[in-house]
Amino acid sequence: MKVDPQFLTSLHLGGEFDAQRCMNCGTCTALCPLGVEILPRKLFHYAMLGNREAVLGQEEAIFSCLLCKLCESNCPGGVHIAENVRSLRTYLNREVHGLAEA
Amino acid sequence: MTGRRIGVVVCQCGGNISDYVDTERVRAAVAKEGDVVAAHVEMFACSDAAQQNAIQEIREKKLDGIVVCSCSPKLHTATFRAMAERAGLNPYEYTQVNIREQDSWAHTHDREGATRKAIQLARSGVAKTALSEPLTPTRVETTPQAVVVGAGIAGLRAALSLSDLGISVHLVEKAEAPGGQVVRWGRIFPNDKVGRTLVDGLVAEVRRRENIQLYTSTELVEKKGRLGAFEVTLKTAAGATIPLKVGAIVVATGFEPYTPAPGEFGYGLEGVLTLPEFKELVAAHPGPLVYHGREVRTVAYIYCVGSRDASSGSPRTYCSRYCCSATSHIATVVQGLDPSVHQFHLFRDIRTYGRYEALYDRALRGGSVFLRYSEEAPPTVRAENGSLVLNVRDQLLAGEDVELRPDLVVLVTGMVPRSNEGLVKALKLPLGQDGFFHEVHVKLRPVETVVDGVFIVGTAQGPKNVAESVASALAGVSKAGALLLKGYVDLDPLVARVDPALCVYCDECTKACPYGAIDRVQYGDREVAEVNGVLCKGEGACVPACPKEAVSLRGYSNEQITSMIDALVKEVA
Repeated sequence: MKVDPQFLTSLHLGGEFDAQRCMNCGTCTALCPLGVEILPRKLFHYAMLGNREAVLGQEEAIFSCLLCKLCESNCPGGVHIAENVRSLRTYLNREVHGLAEA
Repeated sequence: MTGRRIGVVVCQCGGNISDYVDTERVRAAVAKEGDVVAAHVEMFACSDAAQQNAIQEIREKKLDGIVVCSCSPKLHTATFRAMAERAGLNPYEYTQVNIREQDSWAHTHDREGATRKAIQLARSGVAKTALSEPLTPTRVETTPQAVVVGAGIAGLRAALSLSDLGISVHLVEKAEAPGGQVVRWGRIFPNDKVGRTLVDGLVAEVRRRENIQLYTSTELVEKKGRLGAFEVTLKTAAGATIPLKVGAIVVATGFEPYTPAPGEFGYGLEGVLTLPEFKELVAAHPGPLVYHGREVRTVAYIYCVGSRDASSGSPRTYCSRYCCSATSHIATVVQGLDPSVHQFHLFRDIRTYGRYEALYDRALRGGSVFLRYSEEAPPTVRAENGSLVLNVRDQLLAGEDVELRPDLVVLVTGMVPRSNEGLVKALKLPLGQDGFFHEVHVKLRPVETVVDGVFIVGTAQGPKNVAESVASALAGVSKAGALLLKGYVDLDPLVARVDPALCVYCDECTKACPYGAIDRVQYGDREVAEVNGVLCKGEGACVPACPKEAVSLRGYSNEQITSMIDALVKEVA
């Protein structure tokens, strides 16, 4: 897996991506009512490492999130998990599907 | 029976002892011992009222020995010796018997057994006291001067604080200029101060003080004498020698940054730096980071290089303490210079303890990405077409291989001991397994050494950050101050002695003594060994070494030990 810092830069530009504060405790995973296949912490870690391919491969999971914030309101690191998912959606819409931002 | 008049106090320690030991039965049993003329039980033998009772009993019954059966001698030997002294008894006629740590606490399941053991221990204490003799501490004068070896941040601080106490200081630095490691580092955590500024302030103050003499390009080459009156010799780079008389020696020789072996994590490749080298690079450029004319966009840090090495035989099994915090800090500095720089931290465990956690948090919020690697699968660094390639198995991704192409790889190197062979030999200081100077006890006596009057402070004793080094320097200063300001010191009289009538000077005791405390003297027409009571620590290595049983320890004579064993094995009714 190759790290692409450019990808990380483009995520920063896309919004308030703040997954650095994640301490890998797994609370988010345990609480997810959908049991989303990829764990938020792992997805965000791929994003932070600038692994564009791994993030694109998880499009299904990124769009199945309900944004219910059950994870976010219980995150001990105070990570804005739902916002981060939205940042990833914005990125996918813009860069992959060619949808312009409103 | 020896005709002695011994009193015994059995302490309940508020239940700590009496919950598991029948203290009344202990009292009754020991009261029947031949030399015992008084025995009573106390709720807390160390309380003021109980001490008063004991003092009254010593006076009224004209006791010439006292035994307190209570806790560990580590806790209350000094308390009860002082009590004995207040009652007019020689403090060395007092014996402490440990029936708490070594009895009640150890046998909480067995009251009968614990009680029998307490009786046996009490009897052996009585047996020892029956053969005790009054002893007087040796009083030696102390010179109100100190030598501080090493003028880094710990040594400078120690010199100033000794000077504050009114003690004259000779501050000796091997290098051409004072300052040590800190001056090279630029801004340092936790307060973001510049190392050079900190040191310059201390050096200016040192130069202002009339009672501090700074010697640069100078080493301490010889030490003679004893605590309170050492004779040390300094040697300058030019070869001149300077003799000094000092009461205490403070060793603040610091550490050496670990230098990786060529090829270790790519060390030697262009763009692979150690943490101190990187800090110098950052300090040298006020603007965005540039290395060899190229702008630095991506930095990767590899933590624990040279530290926490568990491979067999490695002396560096320890954590160097400062590096996690220092790296988190420098990452925030780099971030501040250019927020678009990408920083990846390859760590094993983050140990930004205490309030330094805030530095780690700042690094995280500033965009640093942390990847955890395991000791079994360390990262690899190689060069490919002029750029660096770093591979690591990221534990946060279940060991998936991650490849980075950083512009700089920073090896977060820890601390190793300085090679100080000359000084080690001159001071006769022991080194720990890690090669740093060895303290008497890491928690209870962290700046003292087995050589009385010689203190180790700062990173000479082990890895520390700047704040901890300075705290340790101040601890050394308080110890040295307590020693020197009184003008004299009373030495423990529990030392070895040689019976010259039995000694044949075979040299065995000299070989056994770790303190060089045995002299060869003339006795009539032959030579015998003699113990230097000032140097002797009374640890007793010489006693079993003597084939003639001519050596014995005051307070622990062979007769006393034998009678204690006899008392211990006597049946309990």
